[in-house]
Amino acid sequence: MESKSLSRDCNNPNPDPKMAFHFLRALLHIQQSAATTSFTGRRRRIKRAAYASMAYSSGARRAWSRALIHTLRRRRQRQQRARTAVALPRRIRVARPPRREVAAADQAQVLRKLVPGGTGMEYCMLLEETADYIRCLATQVQLMRNVVDSVTNS
Amino acid sequence: MEKARFFDVNRHSPNGMMSLEMNVDAAAAGQLPQQFLNLGWEQPMHHDAQFESALSSLVSSPSSNPQAANESTVMHELIGRLGSICNSGEATPTSRYHSAHTSYYSTPLNSPPKLNLSTMDIQLQGTGGLPIPGNQMAMGQFAPFAADPGFAERAARFSCFGERSYVNLENQFALPETGKLSRVSSSRSLKAVGRPQMGVHDNGKDAPLSDPERVDMEMRSKPDGRASGSTTLDESEFANSQEASSASDRTTAGVAKNNATKRKSAPKGKAKQVALLSSVTNPPKPTTEEYSDAKRSKLADINGVDQDSAVKPKTEQTGNAGEKQGKENNAKPPEPPKDYIHVRARRGQATDSHSLAERVRREKISERMKQLQDLVPGCNKLTGKAVMLDEIINYVQSLQRQVEFLSMKLATLNPQLDFNVENPTPKDMNQGHDPSSFLQQFHPLDQATTTFSYTQQPLNSIITNGVDAQGSFNTVDSSAHQIPCLQIHPLDGLAYSTSQVGNLRGNELHYVVQMGFVQSQLGAAFHSQSLPDEENCKSDKFSAQT
Repeated sequence: MESKSLSRDCNNPNPDPKMAFHFLRALLHIQQSAATTSFTGRRRRIKRAAYASMAYSSGARRAWSRALIHTLRRRRQRQQRARTAVALPRRIRVARPPRREVAAADQAQVLRKLVPGGTGMEYCMLLEETADYIRCLATQVQLMRNVVDSVTNS
Repeated sequence: MEKARFFDVNRHSPNGMMSLEMNVDAAAAGQLPQQFLNLGWEQPMHHDAQFESALSSLVSSPSSNPQAANESTVMHELIGRLGSICNSGEATPTSRYHSAHTSYYSTPLNSPPKLNLSTMDIQLQGTGGLPIPGNQMAMGQFAPFAADPGFAERAARFSCFGERSYVNLENQFALPETGKLSRVSSSRSLKAVGRPQMGVHDNGKDAPLSDPERVDMEMRSKPDGRASGSTTLDESEFANSQEASSASDRTTAGVAKNNATKRKSAPKGKAKQVALLSSVTNPPKPTTEEYSDAKRSKLADINGVDQDSAVKPKTEQTGNAGEKQGKENNAKPPEPPKDYIHVRARRGQATDSHSLAERVRREKISERMKQLQDLVPGCNKLTGKAVMLDEIINYVQSLQRQVEFLSMKLATLNPQLDFNVENPTPKDMNQGHDPSSFLQQFHPLDQATTTFSYTQQPLNSIITNGVDAQGSFNTVDSSAHQIPCLQIHPLDGLAYSTSQVGNLRGNELHYVVQMGFVQSQLGAAFHSQSLPDEENCKSDKFSAQT
C-alpha cells in the first residue's frame, strides 16, 4: 500500500492516510448514529472502529490483520443475529470444564493471546506479526491522539 | 599428480563446461585458446608448490590465533605471502596471456579485480568475514591470475557447481574437485573471519545468482571486503566469477539470496567460524588434496549456496584435510539440487540436518527479536530473550490500553462534536469556512491527481447544500445523494467522507489536514482500496443508491 509507505521510525510513526480515513469515517458514523447509544456502547464502537481501521490499513497482507478482521466480522454477525433473532428455545447448557490456567510464565503464550491470530502461529511468525502489530498499534494510537487533540483544542 | 589431474579435468570437462569456456574463447581461433589453456594450466602448477607452502604456513599461523584480534595480523601475513607468490607468477601469465586475453577473455576479465575481491568476500562469508585492510593489495596481486586462462576454465567448471542446471557437470566434476574443495576449506577454516557484512541484504528467497553478480553485490556492499587467506581461494573465486559471469546472467536478487544464505550460515559475533563444506551435489571421490583441493572446496563453498546443504564436518588441518574430507565427501550421498536454503555448520557445532535447521530458525528468531527491539522503545539495553519478550508484552498491552483509553475519551468527546454540528449559528460560519478551506486543501491535490478534480464538483454542491442544511447530517446525506458522481467508486467514498468531514468543525478539518489526510496518495489509495468496513454503513447506502 503506497499510502503506508510512511517512515517506520518506531516511536512516533506517522498515521497513514488510509487508516486515518477509515477511522474518521467510522467516527463520523458513530457520531451520527450514536445519539441514542450509551457511553459504553459508543466507546465500544469507537474501540472497534479503531481496530478495524488498523486491520484494514494492513489488509490481507498480514496474518494478524486477517485474524482481526475475521474476529470483528464474527462479532458483528453475532451482534446482528442477536438483534434480529427471535427468542430461541432454551437449550440445556453443558457445563464446560473449567479452563486450565495457562502459565503466564510462558511468554510466547501470552504474546499469542495479545496479538490477534497469534494462536495459530509458530514462534518465528509470531515475532514477525508482533512487530507489524506493534507498528500498526502505535500509528493507531497516534491517530487517535491527534483526533482527541484536535477536538479538545477547538 | 595434481598436474595430471588438472589436465585430465580440463580434458574431460563435459561439453557443457567446455562450451562455457569455449564461449569465452569463442572469439579466438580454435587452436589458440587451447594452447593458452595448456599454458595456463602449467602456470598454476608452478605455483602449486608455493601455494602449498604458503598454505601450510598460513594454516599453522592462523590456527594458533583464533581470536579476531589476531585476525588482522594473520591476514596481513597471508596477504604478504600472496603478494610474494603473485609476484613470482606475475611475469609469465601477464606476458603470455595479456595480449590474447584482451581479445578473448575480455568479457570475463572485465572486472576481475573486483570479482576477485568479491569472490573472496563470498568465500569468507561462509567462514565469517575478516576485515582486511590489505584488500586492495590482494586485488592487485590477483590480477595476473585473472588473466590465466586456466583459471577461466576452472571457473567455468566450478561455476557450474553453483548452478542447478549444471548438476550433471557437477557430478562429473565431483571426482576431481572434491579434493580441492577439502583442501580449500581446510585452509579457509584457519582464517578467522569476522561477521560478514551482509546486513545489507535481507533474507532473499530469490533464484541463485551467478558468482560474479553475487560477487559484485558483495563488493558493493562490503567495501572493506575480506581477504582470503590463500591465493588458491582467490584463484578459484576469480575463475568462478569470471566464468560465471560469462556463463549466465542472474539477478542481483539472487545475490541477495546467496548473501542471505551465507549470512545465515555465518551468524554474527563468531570470532572464528569455519565454513564447512557443503558438498555440492555428489559425493566427491577422494582425490589427492592440494591446491586443487583448496580450489574445489572454495568453489564448493560458493556454489554450495545454491545446492542442498549437506554440511560436512569441519575441515581439518592441511595435513589430514584431503584424506578426511575425501572420506567425508564419500560418505555424503548425492543430493539432487533443490531450492533449499543452504546453511553451513560452524566449527565446533553439530552438523546433522536437525541442528542445522534449528540454527537457521534460531537465527531467524534472533533477527526478528532485533526488529522488535527497534520497535519497542527502551529495549536497546536489554539483552536476553526472556527480558525482551516481557518488555514486548508490556508494550503491546500498554498500546492496547491506550487505544481503549483514547476510545473512551473520544466517546466522551463525541457529544461535543454533536453539539457543534447541531448548533446552527457557529456551524454556518464553520461550514462557510471549512468547506472552502477544505477545498483549498484539495487544490494542490487536484493538480496531483485527476481524481480530486473529479471530487471538486460534488464537494462544491455539497458545500452549498450543507450551508443550507444547517449541519444536519440527513440533509448532507441527501445532498450527497443528489450528486451522481458520488455514488459508485471508492473515490466517491472519498468525496463523501470529505464532505462529511467538511461538515465537522473546523478543527477537525485542520487536524485532518495536519494529518496528511489530504494527500495525492489518497486518491490512489481509495481507488485501490476496497471498503469492506463494517462500521461504515454509508457505503451501503451508496451501494443501495446505485
